[in-house]
Amino acid sequence: MNKTYHLLTGLHFAVCTLAMIWPGALIANRIEPTVLGLPFLFFWYILWMLILFVGMWIAYVVRHGGGRHE
Amino acid sequence: MWFATGVVVMNDSIIVVGITLTYLVLVLWVGLRARGQENSSLEGYVAGGRHVGVVILFFILGAEIFSAFAFLGAPGWSYQHGAPAFYILAYLSLIPITIWAMGPRVAKLGRERGYLTQGDMIADHYQSKTLGILAGVIGVLALVPYLTIQIAGAGLLFQAATDGLIPFWLGALLAFLVVAAYVFCSGLNGIGWTNLLQGIMMIVIAWFLGLSISERLYGGVGEMFSQIQLTMPKYLTMPGATGMNWGYFSTAVLVSAFGGAMWPHLFMKFYSADSGKTLRKVSVFYPLYAYLLVPLLFIGFAGILTFSDSPLERSDTVLLRMVMDVANFSPWVIGLMLSGALAAAMSTGANLAHTAAVVLVRDVVGPTLMKSASEKAVVSATRWSVLGLSLVAYLCALANPASLVLLLLGAYGLIVQLFPMVIGALFMPQLRRASVMAGALVGSFAYLMMEFIWSSPLNWHAGTWAMLLNIGVVAACQWLIKPAFAKPSPTNR
Repeated sequence: MNKTYHLLTGLHFAVCTLAMIWPGALIANRIEPTVLGLPFLFFWYILWMLILFVGMWIAYVVRHGGGRHE
Repeated sequence: MWFATGVVVMNDSIIVVGITLTYLVLVLWVGLRARGQENSSLEGYVAGGRHVGVVILFFILGAEIFSAFAFLGAPGWSYQHGAPAFYILAYLSLIPITIWAMGPRVAKLGRERGYLTQGDMIADHYQSKTLGILAGVIGVLALVPYLTIQIAGAGLLFQAATDGLIPFWLGALLAFLVVAAYVFCSGLNGIGWTNLLQGIMMIVIAWFLGLSISERLYGGVGEMFSQIQLTMPKYLTMPGATGMNWGYFSTAVLVSAFGGAMWPHLFMKFYSADSGKTLRKVSVFYPLYAYLLVPLLFIGFAGILTFSDSPLERSDTVLLRMVMDVANFSPWVIGLMLSGALAAAMSTGANLAHTAAVVLVRDVVGPTLMKSASEKAVVSATRWSVLGLSLVAYLCALANPASLVLLLLGAYGLIVQLFPMVIGALFMPQLRRASVMAGALVGSFAYLMMEFIWSSPLNWHAGTWAMLLNIGVVAACQWLIKPAFAKPSPTNR
């Protein structure tokens, strides 16, 4: 489980990072469709900030959720 | 624009000053009240006794990142460049990855071996006092100009928001006195509690201003963006209005996000956490703090439409101009805006003054002039250094030497080059002193050359090339040079 855990968190971090820079952000480099009134590229960044948070939260609960201290 | 008589303007300014002074007194009161009993010990003064909890640590780390730049520079970026300003959102939300990966290990080592600074860890791990002193000197050289910028930002904000009733020198002095007073008396505890207050203030003010400005001028955020799309669509996608390429954008995000944790004021806070679990929890919630910038970017985008006919001379005044001249807010709102923006400058300034003083005394003066000083003497030297360094920064802000930004850029670039050295100390014991030193030297030299003399290849951020070179040299040294007197140990071939 430990190896899979580190692999998955590492993958999550890598995907989030690449989504916010080249080449990931290339696919979102447009104005339409607007979401919540924001141009798509702006929304893209707000979305990935949220995805980063949710992924880290899951990783935290899996590792530290049982009250186990490091 | 309104054309009021002098009397009305004067009254308005007095309301603005009144609100802001009330806020400063409140911050001072919270800061002084936070003084704990443990402040007489070095660990207490520097690292809050190593038991700072999740909420306070979250606001401390948040406040360090959101400086005067958040209220002045960030809206300025979206006003001037458009979409490239998203680079700020990207790197701020990626910083917690470094905290997640590195923080718990730093906290554990600090607890076991009594480290309080970056220099402590480097000097001890590589068995070299010189390296520790060097890290300390570079740290102070980067922190003091950074502090100067915060103090100057506070002075500018005061002067602009009160129509000159509080001049630059007085505004800067007020903000710096409040900060120096509570950092002097209460150490990290003072910083923690005031950053909680200032953080909440910043978030509330930023969202209020961002939403109400786009509402008042354009009838809402969505409406505002559709108008920009009709008239100036190039602002809304990369490469923006000024043609920033993806290479620079991406490498700047990477350097700021992953090199940023080398800043001493960030790094040292890892030691103050009550556990590695706390640091992990803080990093989970950290991307949410970056949402603070979203409404501030709105204000810059609003400025694109408002000032399309007569562009601003200085883009970083866009928020001030929008709030004071365009949106026609009451002086109460202007007073709150000033307080919120001062909160950003002061909460970062407090951390910088505290860290610079600790690094100066612990890493630079400690191993040289104060070798056998008692703990009490060290604490008191640190306190007085807070005042001394703040005073130096204040005088620099008054003199405003042009070389300041260069010093900040240069020193910051050098700090980032400590990265392989720190990774070696934390995770890779097989890295040898000679390798990491050679890497840091080559990386630093290459950075300074690219920043000040040549231009950087492919237009990438100079720090990225320097870091690649740095890592390359470390790897080459590890392969090529066999240690002459290698001790037979499992980690050192």
